[in-house]
Amino acid sequence: MDRRTFVKAGCIGSASLLVQGLDPMMRADSVPVMPSVELHGLPDYKPSPLGLPGLFPGRVVEIRDQNAIVRNRISQPIVRRMLEQAMKELTGETSVREAWAKFIEPKDVVGIKINPSGAPACCSSPEIIREIIAAVRAIGVPARSILVYDRYSYEIDVGSYQALLPTGIRIVGIQDAFTSAIAGYEPTVYCDANFFGEWETRSYMASIVAHEVTKIINVPTMKDHSASGVTGALKNLAYGTFNNVARTHRAPHSFTNPLVGMMCTVEPLRSKAVLHIMDGMRQVWHGGPLTQVQNFIEQPGILLVATDPVAMDTIELEAIEKKRREHGAPSLWQHDPASITPDTRVFFHDASKNLFFRQPGHIVAAGKLGLGVADLKQIDHRVL
Amino acid sequence: MFSDLEMTTQIAKEKSPRDWPTLLGDNARTAGQGLRPLGSPEKAVWQFRTGSAVRSAPVLHDGILYVASVNGALHAIDVAAGTSKWKFEAAGQVHSTPALFGDAILFGCDNGKVYAVDRHLGKKLWDAASQSEVWSSPVVRNGVVFFGSADGKVYAMDAEKGHSRWSQELGGRIYSTPYAAEHQVYVGCGDGKVYSLEAASGKVVWSTPTGNGIDSSPAVTENVVLIGSEDFFVYALNASTGEVRWKYETGLGIASSPAVSGDFVAIGSKDGLLYAFDLQTGQLRWKTVVGEVVTASPVMADDSVCIQAGATLALDVASGKVRWRADLGGSIQSVPVLAGDTIYLASLNGEIYALR
Repeated sequence: MDRRTFVKAGCIGSASLLVQGLDPMMRADSVPVMPSVELHGLPDYKPSPLGLPGLFPGRVVEIRDQNAIVRNRISQPIVRRMLEQAMKELTGETSVREAWAKFIEPKDVVGIKINPSGAPACCSSPEIIREIIAAVRAIGVPARSILVYDRYSYEIDVGSYQALLPTGIRIVGIQDAFTSAIAGYEPTVYCDANFFGEWETRSYMASIVAHEVTKIINVPTMKDHSASGVTGALKNLAYGTFNNVARTHRAPHSFTNPLVGMMCTVEPLRSKAVLHIMDGMRQVWHGGPLTQVQNFIEQPGILLVATDPVAMDTIELEAIEKKRREHGAPSLWQHDPASITPDTRVFFHDASKNLFFRQPGHIVAAGKLGLGVADLKQIDHRVL
Repeated sequence: MFSDLEMTTQIAKEKSPRDWPTLLGDNARTAGQGLRPLGSPEKAVWQFRTGSAVRSAPVLHDGILYVASVNGALHAIDVAAGTSKWKFEAAGQVHSTPALFGDAILFGCDNGKVYAVDRHLGKKLWDAASQSEVWSSPVVRNGVVFFGSADGKVYAMDAEKGHSRWSQELGGRIYSTPYAAEHQVYVGCGDGKVYSLEAASGKVVWSTPTGNGIDSSPAVTENVVLIGSEDFFVYALNASTGEVRWKYETGLGIASSPAVSGDFVAIGSKDGLLYAFDLQTGQLRWKTVVGEVVTASPVMADDSVCIQAGATLALDVASGKVRWRADLGGSIQSVPVLAGDTIYLASLNGEIYALR
């Protein structure tokens, strides 16, 4: 499904972008009007050729090994082999080091954007992060030039990343729970829109992304998302790099479409996000992003690797849709008001219920913003 | 009352029932053992706002509750009135639970330092540096403070002045709070191993691997080291040799630390359950759902086990049934302080409560 997006004025960067439009899947009589959105990137930032959609637009490498995760435990050596194989396939290189060198240089400061939401049941696996760190270090990047980051430090704690990752690297939770302070965020780089009359209409970019890291390796998980349809590469990159994003969905409505993609266009985020490694060791087909209910979490042992987050999320969306069909759950595109519940307990235990009208159209919208390929027929999906 | 205030050498029954000077009550990790039965609290006597998230546990001594908040402030709160006595600002975030030693209160900081602060005045006595953040709680025994750092080292320092005695590099980041026995120091490590070090030199006596990194802190009793691992197992190791005496598989990783009372062991798991075992055999006595996720450590009060897991719950030791539940203390990382008829709770959002 598509969203009619009208770019009224402006360009990405220091100027602004105004977007209006309604998703035809939404009921016109119940949908608040999409407000104009202003994006303010870092002024005079020179876009990188590695920026979204990156070196390999439309290419997604999928590798699966059912032994990679057994009884919820991930095999470090199998994950290592899978990642090496996928990186070589993505880049066409015969050596693992050369594959990584396409994206990372020794002088880089590398940010690894994890998704700890939903920990411990389903989050970016420390085993995968360890392999990424090892590969980046093998290029010659010092440990102190590697930052593993996300928005909420308490979610990182629950995942025990601090204890499980190697010494020397930095682990950064940008903000503590329940605070609205913008310490840790760059005040001149933001997205401004008033969705539901909220008092704070801006979402600011993390300072470490604006100023400190030179490259970002994005490690999303493979999950259904109650507001955006799925949480994949695009959403993990945008929501978490920017603060104050929960305001984009107020039950049952969600403006994650088109905001997720719009945020990914803001420089320097767009230029720095050079590689996406989707952790599909676990796959949440209902209750995302926070569910702890194991009934809705499968363990297929998948890794997806791409530079194009739109193509990656399109593959993810198909996989979650397929899984929901297998379980008799309604499509992520379904917008039946009868499926909406205000009760999170009902939502977490009933796959036919949801808190919002999901907006998986954010992926196509991101494609229209030039962030990648959303047409399945045009995606070079390589399954190893 | 505290002639030498080294609570490591003091069993819980010897200390005032209203003191709780270190993580889990005392350095023997008995976690409240010997306290009188824990009744259901009826009201909040006071509420104190620290102004920042709290992700460590409070400690209590001589009518003063000490709480470190993430923004780097160490608060001394007069428990009679629920008001601030003093506040010390560290030069970094704090996730470490403070520990008392003599007139000093010690805690680790994300800037890599351990601070010793005068507990009466709130003035810095000394600080000592490691190379990375210190989330573990300092432990004092025989005048030596032991702590682990994310730089992968365990440090031993003179507790009076902060002078270095030794440091020992292990194989991963250390967030586990060491257990200091008379001659050995036990600690878990991010490399997945449980280590026993010589207290005098830091030399590794033994190490026992588990299947994943360790975030949990050990308890030691009757020559048994108890600890959880992110590999989902609870381990009981021979304290002399490191040999596995028994292990028990839970549903997810374990960041919680065990509390021990006689032959009774309790520990939480990220699967949301609190587990109770027989110390000698490892036989499961009961398991009870207490929250969605459990990362905090339980504490014990004779016939109750108390834990923060979103809410604060007290369970019957014998049956594991929930005796009462208070929807306060919304944290899955802090540990309640049980002090006679009063319970002190720290919440993730920085609120401190006194319940009675």
